[in-house]
Amino acid sequence: MPGLPASVDLDECIARLYRKELLADSVIEAICAKTKELLMRESNVVHIQAPVTVVGDIHGQFFDMIEIFKIGGYCPDTNYLFLGDYVDRGLFSIETISLLVCLKLRYPSRVHLIRGNHESRGVTQSYGFYTECSRKYGNPAVWHYFTDMFDYLSLSCVIDDQIFCVHGGLSPSIHSIDQIKIIDRFREIPHEGPMADLVWSDPDSDRDEFSLSPRGAGYTFGAQVVKKFLEVNSMTHILRAHQLCNEGYMVMFDDRLSTVWSAPNYCYRCGNLASVLEVGPGGERKWNVFDAAPENEAHRLEQQQQQQHAGNDPVRDYFL
Amino acid sequence: MATNGAQSPSNAGVQSITTQNGAWRITTRKLPILKAEPIDALSHEIGIPIPEMIFGDNYATIEYIPSGWSISFNARDALDRVSKTEEGMLQVAVAEDWKKDREGREEVKQVVKPFDWSYSTDYRGTTAGKGEWVETTHERDPIRTDLLSRPDPILFFDAVDLYEDELADNGIALLSVKVRVMPERLLMLSRFFLRLDGVVVRIRDTRVYVEHGGKKVVRQYTAKEAAYEDVKEKLRARGEHVTEALRDANVVAPLLRTVTDVTEVVELG
Repeated sequence: MPGLPASVDLDECIARLYRKELLADSVIEAICAKTKELLMRESNVVHIQAPVTVVGDIHGQFFDMIEIFKIGGYCPDTNYLFLGDYVDRGLFSIETISLLVCLKLRYPSRVHLIRGNHESRGVTQSYGFYTECSRKYGNPAVWHYFTDMFDYLSLSCVIDDQIFCVHGGLSPSIHSIDQIKIIDRFREIPHEGPMADLVWSDPDSDRDEFSLSPRGAGYTFGAQVVKKFLEVNSMTHILRAHQLCNEGYMVMFDDRLSTVWSAPNYCYRCGNLASVLEVGPGGERKWNVFDAAPENEAHRLEQQQQQQHAGNDPVRDYFL
Repeated sequence: MATNGAQSPSNAGVQSITTQNGAWRITTRKLPILKAEPIDALSHEIGIPIPEMIFGDNYATIEYIPSGWSISFNARDALDRVSKTEEGMLQVAVAEDWKKDREGREEVKQVVKPFDWSYSTDYRGTTAGKGEWVETTHERDPIRTDLLSRPDPILFFDAVDLYEDELADNGIALLSVKVRVMPERLLMLSRFFLRLDGVVVRIRDTRVYVEHGGKKVVRQYTAKEAAYEDVKEKLRARGEHVTEALRDANVVAPLLRTVTDVTEVVELG
């Protein structure tokens, strides 16, 4: 595999990104191309070993992602599995995904990234990432580099043959892990089918089986579905993200499934806690719960002052 | 205080102002989204699944102190007015493809009980105390936008979210309330904004207007909507950045067709 251009020093990129500096668009282009090559060789189901710290949705909340490293350990001292939804909604999607991709390239066997429903061209055009790229770089080129790379992200991970990790959940088309392995994943997330279900579906404690959403698209899955999936695949637990929980995590179905949520004070106004799940060498699971990083508030006040300086007062709005 | 503040042991998240003549008190409460247990309880109580962001402890209230009359906006009562049947139920743009793809699949044994998952509500606030709403006209009892447009000092301002849902990334449904209190008058605006990608854009506004020196409350409910593609076309014609503009209810509002516009008034004793 050819290396990065000599002009790109990964360690320097990482150091800059920890300081929340943007990389040049030519560097992003090279890094995304390199990441594609790396991801292309990963299976749709990546097998990894504990110990590993599993992270749920981040959604561009850069300061809170740094908080995760502060409390959970930096790479490569701590192994990480990120369950997707790196971009959209928050203020710093570019900085967030840039850092994660650089860490993946630098420590490929210690950092794992899988795909969430927001790692998609369609969704990022409506929920902020496209706009952020256009605004911060003056054109949407980096959005193309990133979203082309998203097509190569793997869909799931298995920890020590015991814990199945995915962004959304299960699919009525998938009974065994082998059926995930044969999905042609190198594409935009489709509107329907097993690949869509893996990044979209939600558990439902009121029902046993799969249910079709009243929206006319999307599934929920119940306790019996989870039980059967774990039996068929000789596993003990399903770990997923995708749903906001005020407490930062949620455990369901007699401890057979948990949701990890890693964006505290989601959208800077939900007031929720966040967590990461530390899976130990013996399979033990420890929730590490955290609150929003103080830098968020400092940044908000700074922005507010700038706006007031410019004659706009976001605090007092003469709405009609 | 208002109906839904009683359970709270403290005044956490509460802000309040009383007008200078002592007649009106405006109170808001902003707390984090509900935890899992209250969400389950609320879901069972009102009989539909709860939006992904549910600010169930939040409210915005206007109270007429001499008689104790009040109007309050909260998520519970707003959600209780969401259709719990198939009536008016929308389908996402890709629903047809889904039907074709999944027809006859035996694994899918259940369909979730239908409800209006877009969380469209015609909620106009919860009133308590003596006083009847009487329908009037905007000409007879106007909300004085001319006076509200003056740069009078804003003595109290707050924006309170009640609920929000991204509709599984098919758009956005958002109910929020804003209030501003000036020396002589106040305006509260509860806005429901729905953008269902490829299908519809909808805004339902309830404005509550009070002149502090009077005993009258004016309430105007305005429902507007238009087909998604029509809005997109109009935005394009105006040279707007379409995806960005579609996220902003203020930009989209003038492009929609008014379907309901009702003004009511209550005279307080």
